[in-house]
Amino acid sequence: MIPSDPQKVTGICFDHVDVPNQNSLAVARKNGAYAFLPTVLKEFDADKIIDEVKTSGLRGRGGAGFPTGLKWSFVPRNTGKPTYLLCNADEGEPGTFKDRDIMRFDPHLLIEGMIMAGFALDVKDAYIYIRGEFLHEANVMNEAIREAYAANLLGENILGTDYSMDLTVHRGAGAYICGEETALIESLEGRPGRPRFKPPFPAVEGFYGCPTVVNNVETLATVPAILEHGGAWHAAIGVPNNTGFKIFSVSGHVNKPGNYEVPMGTTMRTLIEDYCGGLQHGTVPKAIIPGGSSSAWLMAEHYDVPLTFDDLIKAGSMLGSGAIIVMDETADLVALTRRLAHFYAHESCGQCTPCREGTGWLERVMNRVETGHGCEADLKVLKEASEHMAGRTICALADGAAAPILSLLEHFPDELRSRMAQSHQEEQSA
Amino acid sequence: MTALYINDEEVTVTPGTSILEACRENGAEVPYFCYHPELSVAANCRMCLVEIEGWNKPAASCCTPVAEGMKVRTQTEALEKDREMMMEYLLIHHPLDCPVCDQGGACKLQDYAVEHGASHGRYAEMKRAVVDHDLGPFVSTCMTRCIHCTRCVRFADEVAGTGDMGVLDRGDHMRIDGIVEDCLSSELSGNLSDICPVGALLDKPSHDVSRPWEVTRHKSTCTQCPQGCDITIESRGDEVIRIRPEKDGMEPWICDRGRYVYDAFRSEQRILEPKVRESGGLVAASWDDAIGRAVELMKGKRVGIVFSPDWSVEGLTSIRLLNDAVFEGAKVAFDLHRRDMRSFAFEEGLAMTTQQIEDSGQVVILGSDLRQRLPVLMQRLRKRINAGKPVSRIGAMNYRTNTEPTKDSLIRPRDWSAVIAFAMQQVSGLGKTAAGMDAWMAGVEGRHEAGKLLADALMDDSCALLVGEEIRSHEDAAALIYGLDLLMRACGHAEAGKDGRNLISEGMNPQLLSSVFGDVRTSAGELFDAASNGELDVLLLIGSDPQGDGLFSVQAKQAMDKVPLVQVGAISGQISEYAEVQLPAAAYSEVEGSFVNMEGRIRVAENPLSSLGAERPLWKVMMRLIQDMGGDIPAVNLDELRAHVIRFAPQMEHAWRSSDELMITAARNNTATHASSTKAPSRSLDLISRYSMYREGAWVRASDLLSEAGCLHALDDVLVHPNTLAGAEGERVVRTSSGEQSVHVGSREDVVPGVLFVAKRGVAGDLSSESEVDFVGGAA
Repeated sequence: MIPSDPQKVTGICFDHVDVPNQNSLAVARKNGAYAFLPTVLKEFDADKIIDEVKTSGLRGRGGAGFPTGLKWSFVPRNTGKPTYLLCNADEGEPGTFKDRDIMRFDPHLLIEGMIMAGFALDVKDAYIYIRGEFLHEANVMNEAIREAYAANLLGENILGTDYSMDLTVHRGAGAYICGEETALIESLEGRPGRPRFKPPFPAVEGFYGCPTVVNNVETLATVPAILEHGGAWHAAIGVPNNTGFKIFSVSGHVNKPGNYEVPMGTTMRTLIEDYCGGLQHGTVPKAIIPGGSSSAWLMAEHYDVPLTFDDLIKAGSMLGSGAIIVMDETADLVALTRRLAHFYAHESCGQCTPCREGTGWLERVMNRVETGHGCEADLKVLKEASEHMAGRTICALADGAAAPILSLLEHFPDELRSRMAQSHQEEQSA
Repeated sequence: MTALYINDEEVTVTPGTSILEACRENGAEVPYFCYHPELSVAANCRMCLVEIEGWNKPAASCCTPVAEGMKVRTQTEALEKDREMMMEYLLIHHPLDCPVCDQGGACKLQDYAVEHGASHGRYAEMKRAVVDHDLGPFVSTCMTRCIHCTRCVRFADEVAGTGDMGVLDRGDHMRIDGIVEDCLSSELSGNLSDICPVGALLDKPSHDVSRPWEVTRHKSTCTQCPQGCDITIESRGDEVIRIRPEKDGMEPWICDRGRYVYDAFRSEQRILEPKVRESGGLVAASWDDAIGRAVELMKGKRVGIVFSPDWSVEGLTSIRLLNDAVFEGAKVAFDLHRRDMRSFAFEEGLAMTTQQIEDSGQVVILGSDLRQRLPVLMQRLRKRINAGKPVSRIGAMNYRTNTEPTKDSLIRPRDWSAVIAFAMQQVSGLGKTAAGMDAWMAGVEGRHEAGKLLADALMDDSCALLVGEEIRSHEDAAALIYGLDLLMRACGHAEAGKDGRNLISEGMNPQLLSSVFGDVRTSAGELFDAASNGELDVLLLIGSDPQGDGLFSVQAKQAMDKVPLVQVGAISGQISEYAEVQLPAAAYSEVEGSFVNMEGRIRVAENPLSSLGAERPLWKVMMRLIQDMGGDIPAVNLDELRAHVIRFAPQMEHAWRSSDELMITAARNNTATHASSTKAPSRSLDLISRYSMYREGAWVRASDLLSEAGCLHALDDVLVHPNTLAGAEGERVVRTSSGEQSVHVGSREDVVPGVLFVAKRGVAGDLSSESEVDFVGGAA
């Protein structure tokens, strides 16, 4: 059970992640799952739920950090159209692996969060759009949903109330872009996953043109605790405007990579040194990707940055999905950037001119540079082609593709140049 | 209204307008590729970026709605750099083949490369390789030039409704692909080459023929269907290169029939010099000799005149003048599809404009294959349906529409009176009635529940009836049209300003023809019968092909066996094998003249193409005939001729004086009260002669391009419902009023049982004269 004293809380989404068989309904119930659900369905109404979530200060855990309560309040009511709740479980951002653990170890937490969110938004049909590669997780989710239906936690008249909701798992086909909420909607509608331009926003015109809320797994999994203990309880955790816990998926050159749920505002150094067992080589990282591969890199000088949405923006990057990739002095950043350029070129949906043509162009130039066949003019091409992609497209994939290259050019231009010099020397000695 | 600032200038636009549209309306130049005013917004080319004060990044103007007080900048240094980069991205994989590309000189990519692009590209990596597609006879592809704007995909989805273009793959492997190879199934496919902003989709027939700067443009009117689209004929010298929709014309699209008919202009079928028949063959002659021969054949004889409704207003009026001057009492006919010559309560022509039909509360199509007959009107209806407005249809076949009609009902032609009577019963039950309705209803024995669909639509505030060929060619057409007239009057859809009674005509100028020939016209079938029976001595055929078209080909052939034929026209057609004399008249592209379309809209062509041969405008040929037949010439120039037009059709009075858009209205006959026929059908199957936009009309048959498309789109020559066929597809004997005939019969599920559908082709063509047949050996 999560303590009601905010000072004593050690985790929200991962509180029961280590409990054996927590994915079964019986074990989950023993640990408090669905205990508070009847109270919500019988005593709460939409306004109260949205108010509690607003008070909690919960910000979307998918990457953008948009206040969840505010998002819910944008959904128009009484439109005559159904409202849909979509759970974004397409976790595709390189470096991110947190939602996966919630779904495979504590699926009922997500289901309970979705029932509560669905109840607040008067949703009859909710979907979990799960990443195609997550076959095991989809199986676990489906089994949990089956158990929930059998226990009248889903379907008609949930727990004897007037509220009915169906929940369906839909497996994606492994496209990164389908993690973008409007591409996810397109994909769920059976069309190629290509982001829509906004406005209209999904809250007004989303799934099949109806009001739609798309929330991340971790966001929805936080909802039950907020409703049980109150928005103020959640707001008391973390730091102002960046409340609650956040799961960080730490990978790279640390001794103990993995998922760590820590209060917002914990510093990067604390996370890496105290939780992850420190760096593999040296004392300060060479570079850190703080919020998934689409975020700008942080340098050693940012080692003490508090992990909040606001502080990371101040540091010139973003918290993103909380995927921290740590690189120590042994990292080959040119190779890393080349690999990321390949990823974005492969995953671009191809709609917008700059992203379609730019990502491929950047990848090919990076291939050439990495193998030592670059020249000084390539630096300018990389810079201009990246800069004019970012912010000029329908979705943010182009921004993500530009970020690593611009970071490399800003912080490690000499590493690029040394590749060129290296090849030059090799050619001369040959 | 929303007020905003574009480059510091305050402008006001309708709320919800996009910034790009606001800029276009107010003369601020913003470059774009993917935007098209007739298509949905895709926002993918990113060329239309603008800066908005207070926004931290440039915005795509095509998908950003205006907001009050917004400050937009379209020309800044940063935007210039953005545009330069967009051009660089777009040109990464684009070949530098402008010198051999047909689009060169009329290419957005080329123009913007000059205006916004850098002088050279920096891309030095591998280029993308793509394959071209075979998209049928009208569109050629060069996909390396594609910039992925998806205009063609949106066109196929939203305008054509066929969805036969698509996007495959993603990233820079993304490619536009014809989902169905070999042939685009849309009747509007020629528009693809117009909407492609680059040289990826090109016009196949005119490929590698000319450059945009070599052509002269002639504003004209297409006469290939009653829609009478505004067209621009592009020519080099006297050769037509291509036909396109007139920019800023009434419709943004034209159909393939109107677009590709131009290869008939120079075909061997053209009548380009006077000819007379000598020892079995037609040989060239001088105008004097040919006219002399014609006069010899016609002078003092009993003459029957059959003409095409598609001549210019001036040409048609000159036919009337010829008739009045030298052929007192001649039989005159022009409609090859009308069996019932009793006057119609509402005559041919639309009461509404296509825009009004699109906006109407309800639209009901009664017995018409609109996609083939009037593809552009069908496109408007498709647009309507896509916007969620109802279009219902009653007819014998689920004619393909490339969309789903809201409601659909299949009936046999013999059921029409029962359908109308049922609708009358329904509306009178709701208190709507008109004088004469009860009597009409009482005169009909059966009731057909498809009438419910009609009655439901009639209860709306506004309702447009589109009455098609299944009713117009019906033997009891006048009674059915009177019945519909009663219904429309009962429901308040007949008053001026709300008139929804639209009778689709067979050809152009329907309203004018009612005025000019209303008192002398007779049925073409009756005219041919008169010739066969020895009541006429000679036929004067002015631009029609009654053997290849219409419902009277058998009678026409019988008549030709009896009497000599004098043919005046621009295209010869199948009937010319009978002609004793051929006099060449100028084609619609070659005359200064006026045309009235089905809506009653008047268009005056003033910049014709030059003649290819010895052909003269029809009115001059008519005047020459009057002169040589010994009559007084009524007009020696267009002004005098137009005075005669106004005499017959006073509504045309301002047609040539005012620059305002003029509309003339279709005739209404309040005295045309006809009870439904009580004659019982004598045979078990009704027969419907199917129309094909690729085969109907002498012009179209002379076009190799359209003939090729006709082969690709053809259905079986004779079709019935499988239940009617009661057996395997194949040879069946069909009994008609004139005997028995063996034809190959195919079957389709989406037609009403009990009807034989005949395409006017080959041996089956002769069946089209019939309205009822039997299968010998029994039909289910």
